[in-house]
Amino acid sequence: MDTMSLLMQGFAVALTPESIMFAIIGAILGTLIGALPGLGPANGVAILIPLAFSLGLSPTSSLILLTSVYAGAMYGGRISSILLNIPGDEPAMMTCLDGYPMALKGKAAEALAISAIASFIGSLIATIGLVILAPILAKFALRFGPSEYFALFALAFATLGGITGKNQFKTLMAAAIGLMIATVGIDISTGVQRYTFNTLELFEGVDFIIAIVGLFAISELLFFLERHAGDGLKQVAINKLKLSAKDIIKVLPASFRGAVLGFVAGVLPGAGASLGSFISYTLEKRVSDKGEFGKGDPRGVAAPEAGNNGAASGALVPMLTLGVPGSGTTAVLLAMLISLNISPGPMLFQQNAELVWGVIAAMFVGNLVLLLLNIPMVGIFVKLLSIPPKYLMPIVTLIASVGIYSVSHSALDLYFMVGFGVLGYIFRKVDIPLVPIILGMLLGPEMEKSLRHALVLSDGDWSVLFNSGLSIGLWTVAILGLVLPIIVGPIIRAKMAKSKQAVK
Amino acid sequence: MRINDRVFGMLMLILAVAYGWEATQFPIPFGGHESVGPETFPIMLSIILGISSIYMIVRPDPDEKWAPVAMLVELSVVVLSMLAFAWAIEPIGFMPSAALVVSFLSWRMGASITKSLITGVTSSVVIFFLFNNVLELALPLGLLEF
Repeated sequence: MDTMSLLMQGFAVALTPESIMFAIIGAILGTLIGALPGLGPANGVAILIPLAFSLGLSPTSSLILLTSVYAGAMYGGRISSILLNIPGDEPAMMTCLDGYPMALKGKAAEALAISAIASFIGSLIATIGLVILAPILAKFALRFGPSEYFALFALAFATLGGITGKNQFKTLMAAAIGLMIATVGIDISTGVQRYTFNTLELFEGVDFIIAIVGLFAISELLFFLERHAGDGLKQVAINKLKLSAKDIIKVLPASFRGAVLGFVAGVLPGAGASLGSFISYTLEKRVSDKGEFGKGDPRGVAAPEAGNNGAASGALVPMLTLGVPGSGTTAVLLAMLISLNISPGPMLFQQNAELVWGVIAAMFVGNLVLLLLNIPMVGIFVKLLSIPPKYLMPIVTLIASVGIYSVSHSALDLYFMVGFGVLGYIFRKVDIPLVPIILGMLLGPEMEKSLRHALVLSDGDWSVLFNSGLSIGLWTVAILGLVLPIIVGPIIRAKMAKSKQAVK
Repeated sequence: MRINDRVFGMLMLILAVAYGWEATQFPIPFGGHESVGPETFPIMLSIILGISSIYMIVRPDPDEKWAPVAMLVELSVVVLSMLAFAWAIEPIGFMPSAALVVSFLSWRMGASITKSLITGVTSSVVIFFLFNNVLELALPLGLLEF
């Protein structure tokens, strides 16, 4: 069947009242989460996973809900960037550059509206890109054997630090820790107990949903406390929206350029949304700056917003087709898929075609919902920013715990969650990235399986791991991914810091 | 100061050695030794962790500031309060324990005692009814059950 008819089938799934309802709920929740300073998309999705799970939603509904949360959080991130000059997460950083100055000039409403339109264009174009690219990549990936898969997993870890990553050894260390946690439990192929210390609870291994909530949400609470982020933040007042068609037309080229660049950055391993919004902004500045950028140029708002939303959808391409997520949030979404007993990767497009295309179609629906929601209702989301975190954070923590408790009704899971929270706090203090840990826990079983499978087929000959052109190619990219940041990373980081400095 | 990374690297090195040694002690699976067994992958991991810990010890990054001791105590108390919540949720019940832990957290984050209590009680009651009646996920009633 061709892509078009599959997509139409997808729309049949996505346009049922139930799916639309989940898309709307997800979009609202996501925007709320994204708008809060300190809570990014990864946190938001992490908190909601156990909820979706314990509610026993169908795989399609949960995925629609969580992808809408993801998209919503990317939309929401811009609200705190523009009004507070505080990016909700790293990709939203570039939006501060022109968004906050616009707000200071009394054009907060325009900045919010333009960024919503640009976000919509970014997501729309990237979703179209996903429709075109994903099936091709999935078909290509069907040629992967176990040794190619092993190389692919290595590549995922090697590029996870991203081109801007600081200490590659720390990424490696985090990946090893995650993979080590994944080995806890009974070995599937031989039945040998590994690292269980004969504790019944550990026979099935450590549940990554608990780890995710602990590492992300609970450690965030501890950091919040430490920083004493006591009161609500002073935000710029919102004026009445005055946006003419001319204003919109003016930012369209910037949005389209940003969308395409962002999508490419999202698809490429190791690039991600931060780089997506950064290169979109830089290119736009080069193309159309006449001394206005950094002082509140609407195009400087549109480009990075289109870029980071494009990258967010782009990052779903490797996640869905190869089972290898490119960013923290997509890693969390992958956790969701795995816990629903769906293994992502090339087979997903064949075995669960209805689900994949349903979700893709739901992304179109979700984005439309987000656009319609964001322009008239932005005031409601803005209100939320004035609630002091001292009330909000404890409630968010409570919701996270309730979600964890409801999965298996076991208090032990809550102890584990708090334990992971403390670990997450310590890891962040020594700058050990958390995403590779999660990814290690997720990919560990599959990675080990492909290694053993490959070695058994070759009778223990390790050279099997490098004996096809494809696997050599993957290893080369993996090694580049590990080495390049050491050389290029400092340069790019300096540039990012400089463009941020220029505004202050 | 470059202490954090050294200490952490040292701990991780110990973990790597213990983890790798444990892997060599796995019982031989039924059917005898294969070229790749349950220990192969763990041994690889312990080597990777070992190498990166040694790198951390030899070339540590500058330290991120630790909170002052008072704050660390504070954080430990907060962690303990969450553990207490985990312990209390079944015997005492969701509503009272959640109300207590949320009030405590808001108070520690700087809210006044009255406002913390209002936040705690309202949020726990709302969440309880939302979960039990709307979402139909049973949360334990504990002491309130009679």
